[in-house]
Amino acid sequence: MNYKLNHYYLQAILVTVLAFAVTASASAQNPTDSIKELHEVTVTSKQPVRTIATSQTLGGADLQALSTTSVADALKYFSGVQIKDYGGLGGLKTINVRSLGAQHVGVYVDGIRITNAQNGTVDLGKFSLSSMESVSLYNANKLDYCQSASEYASGATVYLQTRRPTHDSLSVQLRNASFHTWMAKLNGQFNWKGWQGFVDGEYCTSRGDYPFRYQSQYENTTGRRTNSDIRYGRVEAALFKGGFSSHIYYYDSERGCPGGIVRRLSGKYENVGREWDRDFFVQASYQDRFFNKILFKANTKYTNEYLRYCTKYPENQNTARVDNHYRQQDAYTALCAAYQPWSWLSFSTSYDIRYSILKADLKRFDDVKRVDQKLVFAAQMNWHDIQVAASALHQRYSDWTFANAGAAEPLDKWTPAVSLAYTFYGVTLRWWYKEIFRAPTLNDLYYTQVGNRNLKPEDTKQLNLGVEYHLSRKQWSMDVQADIYQNKIENRIVCLPLKGTYTWSMMNYGYTFCRGLNATLKGHYHPGQWNFSLLTSFTWQRDVDRTDPEDKDMYDKPICYSPCFSSGVTAIAGWRTLLFSTSYLYVGERMWSKADPEDVLEPYHNIDMKLSYTHNIKKISLGLCFEVCDVLDEQYEHIPRYPMPGRNYKLTLSFGI
Amino acid sequence: MKRLFTLIALTLLIYNARAQERIILLNEGMWQADNGRLSYFENGAIVSNQWFRDKNGYKLGDTPNDIIQVNENLIAIAINWSNIVQFIKPDGTAVAATEDIPNNRRLCTDGKYVYVTSYGHECGTLYGFTWYFNKGFVAKIDLSTFKVIAACEVGYEPEGIALYKGHLFIANTGGYAEQEGDHGFETTVSIVNAATMQLVKNVDTHVPNLYGEMSQSGRYLCINSPGDYYWTPACGLIFDCEKAFTSNDCFVKFNYPATYNTTTLDGKFLVIGSAFSYLTGQYEFSQLTIEPWTFIKTRGQSGLTHTLPGTLKANFASMDQPYGIYVNPYTGYIYGTDAGSFEGAGYLYQWSPEGQLLGKHKVYINPGHFLAIPPDGYYDGISSLTAEPSSGREETYDLQGRKIDASSLKKGTIYIKDKKKILYNQ
Repeated sequence: MNYKLNHYYLQAILVTVLAFAVTASASAQNPTDSIKELHEVTVTSKQPVRTIATSQTLGGADLQALSTTSVADALKYFSGVQIKDYGGLGGLKTINVRSLGAQHVGVYVDGIRITNAQNGTVDLGKFSLSSMESVSLYNANKLDYCQSASEYASGATVYLQTRRPTHDSLSVQLRNASFHTWMAKLNGQFNWKGWQGFVDGEYCTSRGDYPFRYQSQYENTTGRRTNSDIRYGRVEAALFKGGFSSHIYYYDSERGCPGGIVRRLSGKYENVGREWDRDFFVQASYQDRFFNKILFKANTKYTNEYLRYCTKYPENQNTARVDNHYRQQDAYTALCAAYQPWSWLSFSTSYDIRYSILKADLKRFDDVKRVDQKLVFAAQMNWHDIQVAASALHQRYSDWTFANAGAAEPLDKWTPAVSLAYTFYGVTLRWWYKEIFRAPTLNDLYYTQVGNRNLKPEDTKQLNLGVEYHLSRKQWSMDVQADIYQNKIENRIVCLPLKGTYTWSMMNYGYTFCRGLNATLKGHYHPGQWNFSLLTSFTWQRDVDRTDPEDKDMYDKPICYSPCFSSGVTAIAGWRTLLFSTSYLYVGERMWSKADPEDVLEPYHNIDMKLSYTHNIKKISLGLCFEVCDVLDEQYEHIPRYPMPGRNYKLTLSFGI
Repeated sequence: MKRLFTLIALTLLIYNARAQERIILLNEGMWQADNGRLSYFENGAIVSNQWFRDKNGYKLGDTPNDIIQVNENLIAIAINWSNIVQFIKPDGTAVAATEDIPNNRRLCTDGKYVYVTSYGHECGTLYGFTWYFNKGFVAKIDLSTFKVIAACEVGYEPEGIALYKGHLFIANTGGYAEQEGDHGFETTVSIVNAATMQLVKNVDTHVPNLYGEMSQSGRYLCINSPGDYYWTPACGLIFDCEKAFTSNDCFVKFNYPATYNTTTLDGKFLVIGSAFSYLTGQYEFSQLTIEPWTFIKTRGQSGLTHTLPGTLKANFASMDQPYGIYVNPYTGYIYGTDAGSFEGAGYLYQWSPEGQLLGKHKVYINPGHFLAIPPDGYYDGISSLTAEPSSGREETYDLQGRKIDASSLKKGTIYIKDKKKILYNQ
């Protein structure tokens, strides 16, 4: 039990605070510099080395044109992304990028990470697109001149950029969709004397009782999903001014937890488990620059999450009767500073500290507290056509608990990343390498009867070689990029039964090796009042197990749930306020066990269509939108025996002033 | 050349006649993936790793847990997460399925009834109503109707079950103790009168969590306790059923778990175990042979050796995840399974009765439960056939275990009566 911060970190804090103080005092001496209103801090001479990072973005009209409900829906159109979805509106939705695993994907709202110290994953179904300007995916991480250390600390990063209102407005939406789904949404926004803000609220209820069918040589099962209902409410608000941004978010839901569809003789023993979530966070960020050479940024966030899982009902007479409550609180602060001696060179540093506490009424469990500190030193050069970025990240995790054998030993580790790019004739050739790890989560370490306090972190090494080309003309633009990559993951954290016992425990086991190709092509054409867009993505990947060369059954065999091919095509056509879009998604065959070649999830083709029209009468707008998802009514799964909904419809009416 | 073929054919015939090894292996599959499977192994080779599907055209269900032979023509399988007790013939074809015992665990039989332990709290019956229990229960299935005719509450989460002299001996685990919080681990063995399905008594072993495989050797049981995985260490028990009728001092503890155990032809227990604690993250592997009568008689002073026949010890030590051990009660051949990585296929190992490794065969996910089919000729010997019914009062069953009315009996047909085969000739 060591509550002291080590000297190294004290020095790091001092250096960062000093940098902050120097920049602040410089700001006081140069009031004219601080008046600038910055949406995003950018250098005057050259853009940050954007193309050096592998990224994909969906924003603006493209994002609105897709038939999407949540952030998870939008991300499935990105190359290299595998979605895990337990089906329905209420099913847990996580993404896995380039087979690194969901816990290696950091999700950021306006640059501040959404964390879950308990299990390390973020349910993307909880985040709406209605308040988002764009959704971006960065392999490795974003490369801006002034970033927090947390932004360097994941294998892949998803950025949700909130929309800054440009005018005052008020809008209401009502939606009726298949499976007894009703949704109402209210959005108000303003732009007043440099202040912008919005309030966005949503309430949704769905019975989620969609039909499913399994037809194969060995079964002909049809049915309707039960205990798949969800009710949720979400309210969020944001306030911006220049380099200041803030966001407050509250989400409250109750949902049924349906199980896998397995052989039963009747519907007598259905799953009755239910889950309640209450998530709250408030965050603020301020960034500014001084002398045109110094940038600084401060981030802060408080998160409070509550989860209850209950199966203790009179109708549950056949499984364990549990009623567990989990409460997490998390406080986070980051200070970042960057110095740009010349326009083509910058050095930056950031110190982040996060304090998390997890309480649960599990047996043999005690409160767990975690202090997670991160320090990064980074340099970027953008000289003529050559771009270079390098960073060294240090992370330290210290836990305190009286649960069982006490806390794990503190974890200390440095990890490097380096990127190079060269641009010629508009074509950028990039290469990057990144080492990063994911620390064991609090569940991995301390969860009753599973946790293992001796876990090592899960290490990843990523290597990428890519090419990117942009072309923009008056009426049209084109953007094409392709990357080949290689990932190695060591010490995978998995739950395994122990040799010769009936007990399961978290273990470090396994080494996977992944090679792949991601490619995207985007085209936009705007003749007169028409708008045409074509968005395509393609992924080829070979992800294999390299754990034990002696194990002929497993070694060099594909990793479960990892498709070899996947691709997506979205076509959008718009004329004035009439918009039609159709998207096609193909995901190839995926194994779900290595025991039998028959244990595969079949490939699926998903076609969605959306038609919308907005009629403006003076300042009032009336909108109508009709969507059909899974037009072919294809039955498919992301997890075996958890069927996804087939064809379904949505009708949305909107009113705005 | 002709002679050579004849010689080979004769050799094969002799080998087959000698071995006649037929094993049904239950692969648990993965929870909620609906991929429980049967492997069928015959004379040194896997015939199928989806034997139930091949024979019936549909899937077995989710997480099967136990398999037993009921009589010559009937086998019962407890399919835990499907809430089904499935009955099949020895050729693999399905006969019936009983749904009324949710969260079923382990089985035993007297040839007329099948007794099933359940972690659940409700039990449907033949009479159309449902019994509710606070703790777990044991249910009695009548093979003439394949319906539950009686049930008896025992401890929380009862696991292993054995029949001795008309009484059921049930090892209680309390396995949901960590999740449910309203009860602790159980430490008792419940004794239930199989005829009346009334609880006779609970024997407190003072050892928590009597979980896992439970083998029987006549009057003796081999019971595993993994402990509480934290402070209370794992151990094993030899339980004397005969003595339990008159005294609660009817068991002797040994300081090694009996995670996987089986009974040899000469009545000893072969035991594979691993003691594990979440506090240390360490486990200790053990392999034992126990002579239960000596062990009980000497109060644990002798009768336990750290040996296994032949190469078993080394072979089990080299497995990734040992998952079961079994001795064919008809031939003495020994079997073991390795669950491997749990994502991939497990392996079935076969040893000679002396412990010489004969082969390793790829099966399916989590192969953990075995059933030997009797060799040809085991049931059809005239020695086990009586010419006349021994008394007039017992029920009569066909060879599929179904109850037959006296008026429907056909002359010249073989029936089962009073646990014996009869040739009906009236």
